[in-house]
Formats: sequence, C-alpha cells, structure tokens
Amino acid sequence: MEKSIESIWKEGFLKSDALVAPKLNNLYTQKSKHIIDKFNRMFKINLIALVAFSIFVLIASFIMGIPYMGISVFILLNVIVIINKKLLDSLQEIDKGVSSYEYLTAFNSWMKKQVSINKRMSTFIYPILFLSVVIGIWVSNDFQDFFTAIMARPNEIYLMNGIPVFWLLGVILVTCIFALIGGRIYKWDVNLMYGSLFKKLDEIVADIEELRA
Amino acid sequence: MSSDFYTSSILPYAGIIIKICRAYTNSQEDFEDYYQEVCLQIWRSKDIFREESKWSTWIYRLSLNVCLTLLKKKKNNGQHFASDHLPAEATDDSLAFADESLNQLYDAIKQLSEVDRAVILLYLEDKPYQEIADIIGTSPNNIAVRITRIKERLKKILK
Repeated sequence: MEKSIESIWKEGFLKSDALVAPKLNNLYTQKSKHIIDKFNRMFKINLIALVAFSIFVLIASFIMGIPYMGISVFILLNVIVIINKKLLDSLQEIDKGVSSYEYLTAFNSWMKKQVSINKRMSTFIYPILFLSVVIGIWVSNDFQDFFTAIMARPNEIYLMNGIPVFWLLGVILVTCIFALIGGRIYKWDVNLMYGSLFKKLDEIVADIEELRA
Repeated sequence: MSSDFYTSSILPYAGIIIKICRAYTNSQEDFEDYYQEVCLQIWRSKDIFREESKWSTWIYRLSLNVCLTLLKKKKNNGQHFASDHLPAEATDDSLAFADESLNQLYDAIKQLSEVDRAVILLYLEDKPYQEIADIIGTSPNNIAVRITRIKERLKKILK
C-alpha cells in the first residue's frame, strides 16, 4: 500500500539520523568577510564614481566656458581619489588568516584611520571646492563680460582691487563656514553611504566580544 | 552565543530548525549557513520573546522568517533556488537523509512555493490549523484549503 506523506515524514525521521545538528562554526568569519567584501566593493564604486564625475565636470566646464573651474575641481577630486585608493590598498594588507575578531578589529582601526584622514581633508576640500567654483566662474570670459556690463551702468558697488567688497566678504564667509562644517558634512555623507554596514559590523563585534567575555 | 543557551534552549529544538532549513536549501553548505543564521537570530531575539506563545512556536516562526529572508536575499543576488522550479535532480542534497522516501518527499516539498513549503512543514509537525494560520498570517479555513491542495500536489509529484 502506498504510504501517506504523513507516514513518510514520521517514519523517515524516526529511522534516519537526519536530525543531527551541524556544528556552529565559521559563522562570524563568513559574516565579517561578507560585510568587509561589501564595503570594499562600495568603496571602489565610490572612487570610480568620483573619477567619472570629475571627468564630467571637466568636459562640462569647457563646454560652458568655465575651464579653470573644471580643471581645479578635476584635480581636487582626483587627489581625493588617489589618497583614498592608497588607503584602500593598505586595507588589503590586513591578514585574512587571523581570527574573525582580530580581522574585524583590524578593519575597524583601518576604518577609523580612513574616516579621520578624510574628515581632516574635508576641512580643506569643501572650502577649496567652493573657491574653485567661485574663482573659476569669476575668471571666465562670459562672467567678466557680464560684470563689465554691470559696472558700465551707474552703480554704488564698492570695489577693492576690482572686486566688489560685499561679494568678497560673502565668499570669505561661506569659505569659513565650509571650513568649519566640512568634517561634519563628510561624517554625514559617510553615514549615509555606509551607515547600515557600520551598524552590522558593530553588532558582530559586540556579539564576538560577548562570546569572548 | 553562549554554549549554555545553545545547549539548553536551541539544541532540544534543533530538529525543527533542521527540518525547516532543509526545505529551503539545496546544498549542505547552504543548509549549514541557514542553520547557523537561524541559531544566531534566535539568540539575538531571545530577549524579546514574551512567552505569549510556546518557545517551540517561536522557533518555528523565527526559523521560517530567517529562511524566507535569506532565500529572498539570495534570489536578489541572482542565485537560483528550488522555488525557481528547478527539477529535483538539480539539487545536490537529494540524499540528505538516510531514508529514501523522506528524501523524495523533501525534493517534492522543494518544488512548492515558499509559503506552501512553510504550511506543509507545520502541518507535518502536527501543528493545529489555528497555530499554522497565526504563524503564516492567514485564516484557519485558508490553511485547511491550502493543505488539501498541497497534499494533492505532493501526491502527484511523488507518483
């Protein structure tokens, strides 16, 4: 007589040694490897995107007649890429043969170093980026023609070495603000990009630390 | 995860986790990954267990949720699973159990949709329709109809 699925199920589990639980091992190694690999991929994509964006800005700036802006932004963005590429290369030096806890701890210190370097750089990068855009536009022929046309009309604009003083003060003020909040902008940007990964990483480190306690 | 917690609160229910994980994986490697992930999630969420249900029901619910989530993740990553209607021969753990009929039944179960797999696993574990309905999130009537349909489908596959 044909067996019912209920009896196959019950008898099958009675007869066999099917319910031997697998050993709990390598779980954290696999999880940490997965997270760090994901971070690596995202970091590389981010750098490639920065290079692509810098090329786009360069081409667009020539088309729009503001080449100085394009060149300076291109150089600045690529300096960031080169520094971060070197940082990424140093990440590969972490020994993958060590335990997951040691690997994660090494990765965490690399991460802290990377964030600290970029945060310090951001204090300069954002103001320089802003100045590059402003000066690039200022020295462009189109803007100079526009500015000459304004100055040709009767006006009360106070100039210092041919530059409107209030305009200059505005630029200095915004540059200072960028210098002050550059680090915070970077932290916000990093959390937006990698926040969920960092959270997972912290959870794993906390789990492993609890296990080691 | 402390070994005390694993030994006292998970290991006695390992059978439930094994049965569920086997139904959602096609290789020993995946099965072990799923099993470990379920154990980890049970350990992580032990503090939110409110004793409104039995510990075993909690384990069923968590195991199913973890397996379905992992399956979804793998699908999103472009990997194929039994729910993609792979023939039973395509799976590489068709001999996961010593009992041949049980292996055939598992291969048949793997050809069902993910939710149907959950329903039939709970049914085969003698869970009452009300409890299955609570775990799946539907009505007991719907579960009864589903079980009849699933059993017919399994019989056809096993013939």
